[in-house]
Amino acid sequence: MNKYWVITKEVYKKNIKSFGFLIMVLSPLIVVAFIAGLTYYFSQEEQQTPDLPIAVIAEDEGIDQLFSNEEWNLEVNEAIETEQEAEEALLDESIGGYLVAEVVDGTIQAELVHTNELSDQSPMIQEALSTYQTMLRADQLDLAPEAVLALSEPALLENRLINIDEGTLMEEDFADQFIQQGGAYFVSIAIMIFIMTYAGIIAEEVANEKGTRIMEVILSSASATNHFFGKLTGVMLILLTQLAIYAVVGGAAYLYFRDFQFIQDIVGGVDIASILQELMGYTLIFFIAGVLMYVVLAAFFGSLATKMEDVNKAVTPIIFLALTGFYVGMFALSAPDNSFVAVFSYIPLFTPFVMPFRIAAGTVSTLGIWLSIFGTVGFAIVISIISLAFYRSNVLIYSDTNLLGTIKRSWSIMQSNRKARRQQA
Amino acid sequence: MLEVKDIQKTFGSLTAVDDLNFTIKPGEIMGLIGQNGAGKTTTFRIILKLLTPDKGDVFWNEHHLTTKTFDKIGYLPEERGLYPKVSIENQLLYFAQLRGKKKSEIKPLIDQWLDRFEVKGKKTDKVKTLSKGNQQKVQLISTLIHQPELIILDEPFSGLDPVNAELLEDGIREAKANGACIIFSSHNMNNIEELCDSLIMLKDGKPVLNGTVRDIRQQFGRTKLFLESDLTPEELHLFPGVKSVEKTNDGIDVVYLTETEDGKAIFNAATKDGYIPTFSQQPPTLEEIFKRLAGEKNE
Repeated sequence: MNKYWVITKEVYKKNIKSFGFLIMVLSPLIVVAFIAGLTYYFSQEEQQTPDLPIAVIAEDEGIDQLFSNEEWNLEVNEAIETEQEAEEALLDESIGGYLVAEVVDGTIQAELVHTNELSDQSPMIQEALSTYQTMLRADQLDLAPEAVLALSEPALLENRLINIDEGTLMEEDFADQFIQQGGAYFVSIAIMIFIMTYAGIIAEEVANEKGTRIMEVILSSASATNHFFGKLTGVMLILLTQLAIYAVVGGAAYLYFRDFQFIQDIVGGVDIASILQELMGYTLIFFIAGVLMYVVLAAFFGSLATKMEDVNKAVTPIIFLALTGFYVGMFALSAPDNSFVAVFSYIPLFTPFVMPFRIAAGTVSTLGIWLSIFGTVGFAIVISIISLAFYRSNVLIYSDTNLLGTIKRSWSIMQSNRKARRQQA
Repeated sequence: MLEVKDIQKTFGSLTAVDDLNFTIKPGEIMGLIGQNGAGKTTTFRIILKLLTPDKGDVFWNEHHLTTKTFDKIGYLPEERGLYPKVSIENQLLYFAQLRGKKKSEIKPLIDQWLDRFEVKGKKTDKVKTLSKGNQQKVQLISTLIHQPELIILDEPFSGLDPVNAELLEDGIREAKANGACIIFSSHNMNNIEELCDSLIMLKDGKPVLNGTVRDIRQQFGRTKLFLESDLTPEELHLFPGVKSVEKTNDGIDVVYLTETEDGKAIFNAATKDGYIPTFSQQPPTLEEIFKRLAGEKNE
């Protein structure tokens, strides 16, 4: 078997079987399940409150019938017929409130008595009463039902959202923008979490091998290129495995729960297919390029550490870079037009955090998007090459100096090797 | 056959290795000695292609040693390390695979190697559960199990008790019998004298000794005389060429001479009445040579 694959397989197997991987995969699932559970619990609570029936006290038969209609989701306690009974029922909390209504000269005068339980239902009740009043008056004026319909037809008001883009007015699909912003927000957080986790994993892998001198044995068995990319591939495969597990769990959960009323309430208005489509587009490219870039950097910084204990210190610069990107991204969410945001969106290390928000807000042209993608991918390739060049000499340096000192010494070893190779050639 | 020709390596103003030449034929063992920082590890790293020399070349079987030779190498670095959370078996398989072996080739060999080196523990045990000595033995096995033709051991004896050192010596001898070229460094001159066919001593990157152990000792002359006779230290001091006289706990005089020839006059005087129990004129031990050379200032 090719040594590259031997290394890839070893990294993958070792990590997949570790307890840490299980925790890493499960913890977001537990958090999601916890939040879903909490949301479900509170929504149940909320739904339960207006479950108390109301009482309707009206001389007019029509009003009485209005509320005993099945289509209402309000339950009417038909046994209560006087205000006094209603007050007593309200006191012992067997009803949520009561409606007193009478018709005086074709005008409905009504009063809704409640302990703020029925505020949500109040507009509905008023609308029902208004409709009934219209019918009463139409009757008085001898109007045909068609005429009533014609009169009560509301005016049409359509919201057309537009966007000012490079001096022209552009149509904006509001739902689309909402989804894109949500996607950008989601990707931002996901990149952050994945960078933190996977930068840690690869830096530890490398520093561990260096600290235990396994590195010297490996680099006298396989080329540094095979080792470096084998490790990267292994770690990226672990990432894909984690994503695949989420996809499967998410898919299964959706199929299982989609018929539940609660889920439909939440997901009902959202087009899942279009969200997925959105995520599969630019966003996915930014996600992968972003994580890859930071993982490469982490391997580089990990190879600077002398001991396992120094890993956290070594990856600190990466965490700061990622945090900077993340906060500029959050800023971009509220001010996507800002020129500072525009500049950051083209700096490869920050592109994955910032550009998705600009795409969502529609403040960047397609050309700009592709420029940033090429920039990011190109940069990822360049830092891979540079990291690899340093990697070989980094792993031979065991010093207690700071990172910069180590980079300097690594540079001089690299120069010395390069000079030697040139002389030999 | 390993040939190192005119190797030179500098880091900035520091010369790590200079003008180094040696050849190790199949079935030969070479010892590399020198103080810390003398250039031993740099030499190993150059052979292993971890570093590129400024001048000179390394040849394997008359061709440039390249990454293609890697599968034939067994290397034990000075500071020991294994993956703590991986089982002994998987660890050995991984390193052997990196040396181009198939899992199926190595798997049947593991038990017998663990037995031979008396590793205490099952092959499914994680390395971190083993004692330090046993971990060291597992690493030795990983250096040798793929039957390398070029074996490079950086301080293999450090930290081993005499019983385990013996096991390692046996392992090295067996590899030699199988025709491997072996090079190792050590601070223990006894190991070098017992095992090595030839040796090189480095000082500040330059070879100051190069040759077989016997030749090197002889070139310093038989200047150390062990003597048990009626001659008193005072009388011994009167002989020409006597630098100093020491008495050991066993009552034997150790006479340090300037020249080998200086011993003859003492022999004649000591044996003028016939039998004496001890007259042994020897070259200095490797350890003494080492200390003497290491102590000398550079010219």
